[in-house]
Amino acid sequence: MNPLAILRKFIKGLTSDTAPAQIGAGIALGFLLGLMPKATLTAQILLIAVMASRVNIPMAMLTALGVSLLNPLLDKVTDPIGYAILTAQSLRPLWTRLYNMPIVPWTGFNDTVVTGGLAFGAALLAPVYLAGRRFGVLYNERFRDRLIGSRAIKAVKASWLLDWYFKEGA
Amino acid sequence: MRWTYIKPRLVLLGLVWLFSVFAFDPLLKWAMIKGLEKAAKARVEISSVKTTFLHPSLVINGLTVADSSQKYTNLVQFSRLELSAEGAPLLEKKFVVDKGSLTGLRFGTPRKTSGQLLFSRPEPPSPMVKKAQEQAKALAAASADNLTSRFKADYKVAPGDLESVKLAKQLEENYKKDYADIVGRVDGKAYQADLDALKARYDKAKAEKNFLKRARDYAETAKDAKKLTDRFNKDSKDAEAALAREKDGFKALDEARRRDQEAVMAKMKLPSLDSRSLGEALAGPVAAQKAATVMKWLALARRYMPASAGPTKTPARRGRVVHFPGGRAYPTLLVRELRLTGELGRQDPLAYSGTVEGLTTQPQVYGKPTVASISGAKGARRLDFKFILDGRDNIFVTDSNLSYTGMPVAGLQLGSPSSLGVDVSGGSGSFQADLRTEGDKVDGKAQVLLSGAKFLTQAGGIAAGPLGAAVDSAFSGLSSAVIQADVSGTVSDPRLAVRTNLADALSKAFSRALGAQARAAQDAARAKVDAALKPYQDRLKKLASDSQSDLESRLKSESETLKKGTGYFY
Repeated sequence: MNPLAILRKFIKGLTSDTAPAQIGAGIALGFLLGLMPKATLTAQILLIAVMASRVNIPMAMLTALGVSLLNPLLDKVTDPIGYAILTAQSLRPLWTRLYNMPIVPWTGFNDTVVTGGLAFGAALLAPVYLAGRRFGVLYNERFRDRLIGSRAIKAVKASWLLDWYFKEGA
Repeated sequence: MRWTYIKPRLVLLGLVWLFSVFAFDPLLKWAMIKGLEKAAKARVEISSVKTTFLHPSLVINGLTVADSSQKYTNLVQFSRLELSAEGAPLLEKKFVVDKGSLTGLRFGTPRKTSGQLLFSRPEPPSPMVKKAQEQAKALAAASADNLTSRFKADYKVAPGDLESVKLAKQLEENYKKDYADIVGRVDGKAYQADLDALKARYDKAKAEKNFLKRARDYAETAKDAKKLTDRFNKDSKDAEAALAREKDGFKALDEARRRDQEAVMAKMKLPSLDSRSLGEALAGPVAAQKAATVMKWLALARRYMPASAGPTKTPARRGRVVHFPGGRAYPTLLVRELRLTGELGRQDPLAYSGTVEGLTTQPQVYGKPTVASISGAKGARRLDFKFILDGRDNIFVTDSNLSYTGMPVAGLQLGSPSSLGVDVSGGSGSFQADLRTEGDKVDGKAQVLLSGAKFLTQAGGIAAGPLGAAVDSAFSGLSSAVIQADVSGTVSDPRLAVRTNLADALSKAFSRALGAQARAAQDAARAKVDAALKPYQDRLKKLASDSQSDLESRLKSESETLKKGTGYFY
């Protein structure tokens, strides 16, 4: 996923895919993405999943950014969870097999914050989605139109580069 | 042609190419600097990083790592590192290099700018270095004038402040605990109860009519009788070990008493005439500094090359990485052979070359120890260094041997210039060191022989007078010296013992200049420590002697009872 495509989807997402369920799903996936160390294949796969699905991209990106800022605190929770999962005797054959397979180690599954983050994120996915959906209702009622009419968004949408890229990439 | 489809993808390809050519290497360089700065806790500089993808390779030019404890000194630097990685292991996120080269490796070079990181304080010296520096500074107390006025007869020694008294109390507590534990185990009643139970089983078996069952019961009783004897033997050995520990405790107590005496003399500003203390004060700071650097490297090796037979964990930028090596797995990082060249020393450096084989972050996966062999020669100078690191089992073992002969001696500073320092210059020296670590334990010896050198005193802390003149004359006649150091303890808390014949010369000079007056004052200071320690030492000795004789008689009586009682079942 190239940076221009992400930017294009971000701008588009401000006006489309704004149903409360899409915003909720975007926030939930963004939450999961935010927990991950970004230099892993897992984070990249999650990013592609966000881009490929019809969730609200801006909310996903902003949530991922917000959660990333909280990582120093959240790691204190996800690290012990991941360590417990990775050192469980019953799962050792599975981890050993994955560890010695091509490509899989690039997911960083053997990093405690990746596995712990996935477990922690999966456990909180439903509550975060429900809270995100409620926020979606609020966003549509109060902020969406104001944001679309803002100068900053208008200026970005009017730039020749994005205009060209929107048309060409369509 | 569908240009609307092709053009954005061409743009994307172009961006990827631009990123890999212009942005990847600078980003990698930045990540390396940040990672190394985090590990070294000091500034790291890299001139350039070059990577290639088709034949995976990495070249690092001009790397310097500053020393976190000395901001204008580099811990290590090199000119160029070239590594060519194998392709297949990269798919498993493992960096395996068959052959690499490292050139221009140097240690302890000076730097023009501070190596201290922004918002970080320089790393404090290790307790070993700090102690040695304090001892060196305390030499200033040797000033001869007004010696009598400094010794105060009414100077009080508080027993609670003495290290020896604290140790005596601790030993007493430990001894009581150990003794109660052993007495509880070798208690005759417990053995007697077991013996009675065995006898009852034996009698029951004797009355058994079924021959096979009787034979089995006899065998089981004899087996349990043997177990009881084994238990007693183990308890006896534990008791003997506890008694041996007690003897070691008395040795430690004696050492602590000596240190207390030194401390009291330092407080009263009395000079020490003891060669050992003077040797530690003179050569201790230099030896401690070198030993601390070696311990720092060993601690780094233990951290990044952990010994373990099972899954290992290493610190990551976030969280921890747990490794699960399989049967034919590659280590996460392996350099099978690294050829290196470098220089030793600042003025007229000695060029050396060598190899490091099996450099890996997972020794247990690679299955071979890391072996380094370095040598160099120039004229009469010769350097040989061998290092073996074995982390294949659960215990991390290293063995190293360094020999450097014919080295030029320049700018070697012993002691403390503000107190009593000795500048050694000219001549040549030879250095021999052997160091072995097993787990956390360290055991090493080093020796420096200096010959044809000049020894100039810097007696800033010694007032002009008979002492200053005596020290100057003692050192001016010297042209050779021996410094020996023993390292023991642990990697995290090493202990250093330093001896040198320079201390003998110093001691003689002190004795000559200060004479009977100083000795009387020292004897008085020592007597004060002995008097403060005496009640605790006497109590400990009485406790040890009473409990030792009691324990021996108990063990003897129980041994006889058991021999008699268990012989019955065989």
